[in-house]
Amino acid sequence: MAKVLEVKELSKQYSKVLAADKVSFDIEEGEIFALIGPNGAGKTTTIRMISALITPTSGDAVVAGNSVVKNPDKVRECITYLPDEAGAYKNMTGLKYLQFMAGLFDTDLDKINACVDKAKEICGLGDRLNDKIGSYSRGMTRKLLLARAVMTKPKLAILDEPTSGLDVLNAIEIRKTIKKLAKEEGISFLLSSHNMLEIEFVSDRVGIISKGHLMVTGRSDELKERYNAANLEEVFERVVTANEVH
Amino acid sequence: MKFINLLKKELSELVNVQMLATLGIMLLIFMMMGNIMTTAINDVVEDASHPTVNISDRDNTELSKQLIEALKAADADVNVIETEGDDYASILADNNIKNIIIITEGFTKSIEEEKKPELLSVAKMTSAASMANISNGNVGASSLINECVRNLIAETKGIDKEELQRINSPIEITENTVVDKNWAPISIGKITAKISFQNVALPIALFVLLIMTSQSLISSVSNEKIDKTLETLLSAPVSRMSVISAKMLAAAIVALINACVMMIGFTFFVKDSITNIDQEVTDAAKQMLSTDNAFRQLGLNLSAVDYLLIGLQFFFTIMICLSISIVLGSLANDAKASQTVILPIMLLVMVPYVISILTDVNSLPTAVRIVVYAIPFTHTFMAMGNLIFGNTAIYAFGLIYQIIIFAVCMYFALRLFKSDKILTMSLNIGQKSRFKKSRSHSEE
Repeated sequence: MAKVLEVKELSKQYSKVLAADKVSFDIEEGEIFALIGPNGAGKTTTIRMISALITPTSGDAVVAGNSVVKNPDKVRECITYLPDEAGAYKNMTGLKYLQFMAGLFDTDLDKINACVDKAKEICGLGDRLNDKIGSYSRGMTRKLLLARAVMTKPKLAILDEPTSGLDVLNAIEIRKTIKKLAKEEGISFLLSSHNMLEIEFVSDRVGIISKGHLMVTGRSDELKERYNAANLEEVFERVVTANEVH
Repeated sequence: MKFINLLKKELSELVNVQMLATLGIMLLIFMMMGNIMTTAINDVVEDASHPTVNISDRDNTELSKQLIEALKAADADVNVIETEGDDYASILADNNIKNIIIITEGFTKSIEEEKKPELLSVAKMTSAASMANISNGNVGASSLINECVRNLIAETKGIDKEELQRINSPIEITENTVVDKNWAPISIGKITAKISFQNVALPIALFVLLIMTSQSLISSVSNEKIDKTLETLLSAPVSRMSVISAKMLAAAIVALINACVMMIGFTFFVKDSITNIDQEVTDAAKQMLSTDNAFRQLGLNLSAVDYLLIGLQFFFTIMICLSISIVLGSLANDAKASQTVILPIMLLVMVPYVISILTDVNSLPTAVRIVVYAIPFTHTFMAMGNLIFGNTAIYAFGLIYQIIIFAVCMYFALRLFKSDKILTMSLNIGQKSRFKKSRSHSEE
């Protein structure tokens, strides 16, 4: 399968902190890759560099053949990004929001309408899309934002903590939607999460990051076997603890 | 197309029911203020033309009775009141009046003995407002009684009326005012009376406009940062220049709407209140030369080009405010900080605003003048005065200086938006104290 994302020794140095240190991994077409790590491990920094939001200090990430360093504008055309705990414009209706966001990716009205129709189907909010976003529950907002992130059929959808703060039923629904979109639409996903159960269920491959270093990558079952662990949570604990000892 | 999409979104965020309600209330306030001023001025004018004089005659002589008759003949509403003692507060309260003139006992006798007779004037003060104390019947009545007594003394001394008039006003003063290279026979007082209002009201309107515009853009940027919609926007395939331009243009359009509403309200206010003063109180002054003619003669009236130049300076002032606001809004990472970061703009606007109302910047000592002129907004507050009084060089310098400041601020705003700092930098107001608080809790 073709590689949608190739991350090559990506590093980010803030004034005193090395937030990401030579992080390398790749994601194939239709693959769901989860980046997990403790708070402050460098997940969001890595994701922001891949999203062309911040510039890497060294290294590169190539999204569908476009370098985030050399051609960030092209990268933005191939990706969508859903930040952790992101909100939306509260005074807009859900429908207007989808139309506005689709209008940033295309100028053709037919294509915009097609994107919005797709988003309507994915989010399942029905008539509530005509209400202002300020009146939505957290779960409804998250569904709207997920639909927004995938309606343009990006090569790579980057979702930072896609289910954080959601109740179990809403979280399950979102996980199922992600799996379905990867399988049926061929969209590749880069996720970050603290929920190991979610990662085991939804991701094809996992990368554990700690103190800016990408420690291991692999399928969940491979990692469990390698670390002789009962679940991914135990793998995570062993990898992170070992890194802290060193 | 993408820019229009962004602009429409920014406008829909800024133009909401709250904003329209604020504008409506502002318009209403201006109209109400105009009405209140009209009523107050009409009362003053009415009092001046038909004063109510409360008078107590404790002398009770032929002369004192003649003085009261003279007041009645002068078209005043005269109430003769019996009083005694020196508890003036009780006298006013008992008779439910605000002022009274008391012709003291021995008034006539003092005149006959060639001494100065005593006339008591008592007036009640209930407010420090200038309009509340501008007129009471005592002033006119005292002046009339003074004139009557003067005529009486002159008659006794054998001085005829013409001679007396010459003694009272031995010289004729013709006041002339020079502005730049023009002059007109009008006093400086009359000119300042006419333009002082616009010198006070316009800076107030400009001050409110700048603060409102800055606050709305700061809120817009900081809300996007707090809600993380900015990250979503910046990861989309639109240029950062479009994002920043759409935000600034939307804020400028809203500022223009605000300015139009303010000017409409301002026109109501001016029309309702000031024309009354001009037409009725200064009627006598117009016999010599109307202020309008004098203004024309002195070149003090603003031309269409002048208004255009003032508008241009207003535009750059708002653009400077907006470019600074973009940067300040980016510093805020919570609602509290978004309210606090406006402080630098507030200070930069407040200093020239207060100075422009109190004094002429050009008359300040050189060092102070340089500091005040270094504040870009000073030039806006001074623009009208500089154009009226022909200080075109200072105006031109101000405009060029503002364009340079705008270019610098815009450069930094753009650099910020194009760098990582737009997402990473923040003003950590109160974070230290929160940290100390949490540490003290954990120690407990």
